[in-house]
Amino acid sequence: MDQRPTLSAGRPQGYWWWRRGRFSLLIDQRNVAALLTLSVVLLVASMAYLSLGNITVTPAALWQLIRGEGEAMPRFVVEQLRLPRLVAALATGAAFAVAGCLMQTLARNRLATPGIIGIDNGATAFAVASVVGVGLSLAPSAMALAGAATAAVITFGLSVGGGARGYRFIVAGIGVGAVFAALTQLMLARSAIDLANAAWPWTVGSLNSRPPHATLVLLIGLLLGMPVAVWLARSLGLMRFSDAVATSLGVPIQRRRVQVLVTSVVLTGLAVAVAGPIGMVSLIGPEIARSLGSPRQVPILASALAGALVMVLADLCGRLMLAPLELPVGIVTAVVGGPWLLWILLRSSPSR
Amino acid sequence: MIDDPLRRPMRAALILLLMVCVASLVIGAGDVGVWRSVGALSGAEDVDAAFTVWHLRLPRTLVGIVVGAALAVSGALLQVISRNPLAEPGLLGVSAGSALAVAVMLSLGASMMELRVGVAQLGALLGCACVLSVTRLRGVGNDPVRLVLAGVAFSSLLAALTSLLLLMDQRAADEIRFWVVGSLSGRRLDDLLAVLPSMALAGLVLLVLVRPLSSLALGERASAGLGHHPGRLRLLSVAIVALLVGGATAIAGPIAFIGLVVPFLARSLCGPDLRRTLWLCLPLGPLLVLLADILSRRLVAPSELPLGVLTAICGAPVLIAVVRARRLPTLS
Repeated sequence: MDQRPTLSAGRPQGYWWWRRGRFSLLIDQRNVAALLTLSVVLLVASMAYLSLGNITVTPAALWQLIRGEGEAMPRFVVEQLRLPRLVAALATGAAFAVAGCLMQTLARNRLATPGIIGIDNGATAFAVASVVGVGLSLAPSAMALAGAATAAVITFGLSVGGGARGYRFIVAGIGVGAVFAALTQLMLARSAIDLANAAWPWTVGSLNSRPPHATLVLLIGLLLGMPVAVWLARSLGLMRFSDAVATSLGVPIQRRRVQVLVTSVVLTGLAVAVAGPIGMVSLIGPEIARSLGSPRQVPILASALAGALVMVLADLCGRLMLAPLELPVGIVTAVVGGPWLLWILLRSSPSR
Repeated sequence: MIDDPLRRPMRAALILLLMVCVASLVIGAGDVGVWRSVGALSGAEDVDAAFTVWHLRLPRTLVGIVVGAALAVSGALLQVISRNPLAEPGLLGVSAGSALAVAVMLSLGASMMELRVGVAQLGALLGCACVLSVTRLRGVGNDPVRLVLAGVAFSSLLAALTSLLLLMDQRAADEIRFWVVGSLSGRRLDDLLAVLPSMALAGLVLLVLVRPLSSLALGERASAGLGHHPGRLRLLSVAIVALLVGGATAIAGPIAFIGLVVPFLARSLCGPDLRRTLWLCLPLGPLLVLLADILSRRLVAPSELPLGVLTAICGAPVLIAVVRARRLPTLS
């Protein structure tokens, strides 16, 4: 622990403050309120997710199931069909949103999410390759990770040198994404029809055909990645200002940059392996978190909750809106997120 | 009309285009190989080869020429009227608007080619209108890169709506699935005849407009000072772009990046003058589309690759190169 000068002033406005000896805890009240609100809404949404569908399970029946009673049919529907899917939705939403939040803060631009700068498409291309292209049966998680890393390296490699700041860097990312999307199409065009059908969810983003084990890998990734992200948020909060300020406050900028990038890429890759490219969540989730939470901090936890919420609601909509037909969640988020993205762009000062 | 700086690149482009046209006639994905095709061209008795060359590959080549010229010219036009070197029908959502319009029409049950052309042009017009109203908003029009982002957001929204329609309607999906990725395969002469009148009209209007348009490139004030009407010019150009892009999309599906790459190439060959750029776009657009189409037939033969995939693979690096340049190329 380093020695910090003790603050002689009283409690800062808007914080809860706790100190004992050399340890102190500073809690932003607005963040707590935001986290609580998001958690409650997320809980309600998850309950709705479990109970609504082709077979409706009433809240009372759901409560019976939770206590270990109830009939076999609703038990099967909830436990075997909806619960795993709910877990996948929560995990992918959280992972996408946290990755988005990290990268947005790093690039100091709220449009610089993994989905927009081509990392999603890279992961997708590799995941599809593992299904159809080369006949390998590598785990999609590993392939998606490799793809995300490749796309990130290319995009950031291109943005080194030349006047690659701000929006130019994002457009370079769009170009990289377009190439990977085209490669995905190419592989789908080459492959046999049933292989192509098996790989199709990866091109739109769907929770319908989650590869087995991918969710488990993602959960492990979240378990390891979330604490890292929360830890990184502290440095990121300082890096928002400028490199000079951050350096003078003792942040090793280059090292933090690489760490943030790696965390973001890992979370994106693992999430794509489960659900395909659902880039809009990494845009919308942090946006909601930022508008609810305190402007003084990088809202990692709130982003995770908001992303999970967006994902659960979008998939619920996709399942219910045109039932019995099921809309892939990627289409729902694109229809919602497209106007949102435009709105951000068209407001006067979109960079942060 | 063809002045000195244009003569050499123009001649080279035309010769190359001729070679590529011949290549497009003799190279294919199927059994009829190069030698049998050459035989058929020189009049040998080979029914299969003759049918393949004259009834399958010739219409396809002609469609490629028309589509390439239309997309390249409309890209150059859009770049002038939005004063933005990155403006491109595919990137800005004009093609996506036209594709969505066709998807709506198909899911409503109509499938006539003439109707499709009209609907596609209407969709392109709406897309153009959206794009240009966005460029009028503060800040966005002056920043080429932000305009492209807005366009990408817009076209991804339209693409999502298109796939929504595809999911809801299986019959339309079958009809549209191969069209929506952009391809020249299986196009017939009738399809071409359906779009030619409107495209010819657009070309004629464009011929009249070229001189005033090059004044628009100097800015609105200068254009008005020279006695032109910038607002009117813009409206007419939008109509031309809508006719060209709508027509091209109706026959070949949405194809991105041609409208970006070709004017970019043309400008680097003959300088920033609008008239020279437009003239050079005419052979260069078809050249690029036909090259991509030939590749699309050979790369994964005996099956075929959608053309849109290839143009994305060739075009995205150009996009990256343009935005990576320290100073964005200016349009004078």
